[in-house]
Amino acid sequence: MRTTRRSLLRLMGAGAAAATVRHDAAPVFAQAGGPVKIGVLTIRAGIAAPVGAAGLRSTEWWLERVNKAGGILGRPVQLIVEEESNPKDTVERYRKLILQDKVEAVLGGISTGVTLALGPVADDLGTPWLSWDGTTQKGVEETMPNPKWAFKSVDNEVEAIVAGMLTAKYFKGVKTVAGIGNDYSYGHDCWESYQAVLKKYTPDVKFVLELFPKLGVTDFTSHIVAIQQSKADLLMCSFWSGDATIIMKQAAAVGLFKTMKGVFTTAGGVHDSLKKEFTPEGLLLGYNTMYFDDPKGSPLLKQFVREYKAKYNEYPPYECDHAYFCAESYKAAVEKAARSGRQWPEKAQVVKALEGIEAESLSGRRSWREDHIQMCNFYQGVTTHKNPYDFVTIDPIEVVSTKVAMKPAGSKLFDWINSWKI
Amino acid sequence: MTAHVVNLVVSGVFHASILFLVSAGLQVVFGVQKIFNLACGSFYALGAYVGVSAVAWYAEAGGPPALFILPLAIAGVAAGALGVVVERGLLRFVYDRDETFQLLLTFAVVLMMEDAIRMTWGTSPRSTAGLYLTYGGVHVLGTTVPVYNLIVIGASLAIAVLIGWLLTHTAFGCIIRASADNREMAEALGVDMRRLYAKVFTLGTALGTLGGALVIPATAAMSEMGIELIVEAFAVVVIGGLGSMRGAFVGALIVGVLRSIAISVYPELEMLLIYLIVIAVLVLRPRGLFGGAPA
Repeated sequence: MRTTRRSLLRLMGAGAAAATVRHDAAPVFAQAGGPVKIGVLTIRAGIAAPVGAAGLRSTEWWLERVNKAGGILGRPVQLIVEEESNPKDTVERYRKLILQDKVEAVLGGISTGVTLALGPVADDLGTPWLSWDGTTQKGVEETMPNPKWAFKSVDNEVEAIVAGMLTAKYFKGVKTVAGIGNDYSYGHDCWESYQAVLKKYTPDVKFVLELFPKLGVTDFTSHIVAIQQSKADLLMCSFWSGDATIIMKQAAAVGLFKTMKGVFTTAGGVHDSLKKEFTPEGLLLGYNTMYFDDPKGSPLLKQFVREYKAKYNEYPPYECDHAYFCAESYKAAVEKAARSGRQWPEKAQVVKALEGIEAESLSGRRSWREDHIQMCNFYQGVTTHKNPYDFVTIDPIEVVSTKVAMKPAGSKLFDWINSWKI
Repeated sequence: MTAHVVNLVVSGVFHASILFLVSAGLQVVFGVQKIFNLACGSFYALGAYVGVSAVAWYAEAGGPPALFILPLAIAGVAAGALGVVVERGLLRFVYDRDETFQLLLTFAVVLMMEDAIRMTWGTSPRSTAGLYLTYGGVHVLGTTVPVYNLIVIGASLAIAVLIGWLLTHTAFGCIIRASADNREMAEALGVDMRRLYAKVFTLGTALGTLGGALVIPATAAMSEMGIELIVEAFAVVVIGGLGSMRGAFVGALIVGVLRSIAISVYPELEMLLIYLIVIAVLVLRPRGLFGGAPA
């Protein structure tokens, strides 16, 4: 609805960090021109504000660690945070970050509606842009197959594809499926992709109902009546915000999942609101690209989860890792590009270094594919109450790589799915 | 089939109950003050957040879960006190101005409230966990109906009866009706409009905040939750007739039940069907089903 237009110049720790920077680290770069300015675009208002907050929090956590360890090549890092709102205003703020604030790179971008517009602008302005969660897809079609400066998130429909694969594995014998998702590109694309994948594994499956309430609806009692009436064996739901919690609760009140299987492709984004009291065991639940409670998680993940919980009294969702990886891969690329000379690398050299680079992120190693798309793992599994929390977690945990579940560079989604040999 | 009809009706009437409370608040304010209060949706959202906090406080204090509806309703009504602040602090300055000013001002309240809610309760959706399931469900004609939904429907009906009684059987009701009918005459007869406006706006606000508080166990509070409801409340008042309480009641029932039927029968028609009725009412009966004659 409304946009916070004021920009927020964040000096967070940059001054303090400058004072405590290790002077043994690459002094030539430290003298190269004060702090490294990095722009951040994030959503702080409206329905996606919790997603934006998570991305910003983990970027700040990264910033603190990096500055404590001496910055990037000896230069402290400073974030300049701007609001992501509608495409037009966000593009203006993006220009301001580059032309006025003179940032070295821009991180962030959540809504594909916005990042679709940002992609060409990023390529035009010649500064690396690393998107947290936004793509440059129109529907499921890539609009920028050969970007120069834009680095994009994983394709939006991957979690629905993974859910389709796992539905076939865990819910054998399902004959009829109902679907519910938000009435915009993401909801429709997930439903289409899920159907295509499930049909591939179970050719005789029938899709008996599809519902697309508007984003922001808070009463699904009538939708649940329609789902009950469809008598489907399984409900697929791609809600990702508070609506996932609401439908779970309202479904529990009428015992929907006593007679129906459930697949929640994306509800892991609000995982700690899925209380055991109303979220049954045995549902398939997707956490996107980071699972906070992964027993095989790295010490970095465990430290992050511990400190995030202590600071915000919440358990971190996946957006944290998208954001962490963007920042960390930028740092890795600058360091890689600088190895060949004694100058701070040019932006074009950083982009070259980013292509194909791998970096340690919260959920493990992630990389940028040659066509500038993020490569990582997706986490989904079956809900369980056997944990020390008051909300559900998953067991077993299925980890599916984007190498398997994301369309290869240059291919069309449905042609690619149809080409699978199962 | 019977089970499906029961489900359709109960879910539709449940939605209508909340819509009625918010629309009734809109109607009472418009009827007397002639202000179309866009902020009614924000009061609904505020009631939801205050309800979440009240219930959390109640649970921490060790209150029995079965009685959570009491602190919830009290908090919902108490949050209506904000009405006095908005009316005395803002609205009274625009009574004699053009309607555009009034609309802009109440829209500004919508935006300010959304930010205030975000600053107070944060950006993440807030919910009352599993309290919704405390009362369980009853089996009616082969289907399970959540008892809490029935409580909300009952509460809304009771409030409708209470408002009807207030308007027709009390001196305050007489004054409200008289002032709605002819403000100058009421003023000439000694009605203190300043006090009346403050009281009426507070009543309108309390209906919205109570609606938000009552619905919250069944859903989750989100800062922009009022926006969607404002749109539906518009449809209700257009269908029922601006300023009419009976109109709010019947309009809410029509919108709630038709929405429920549309979602089950032809989901693509959900909003279209409601707007088709709005258009039909505007064309055939521009003052709505229960709207008064032109002044």
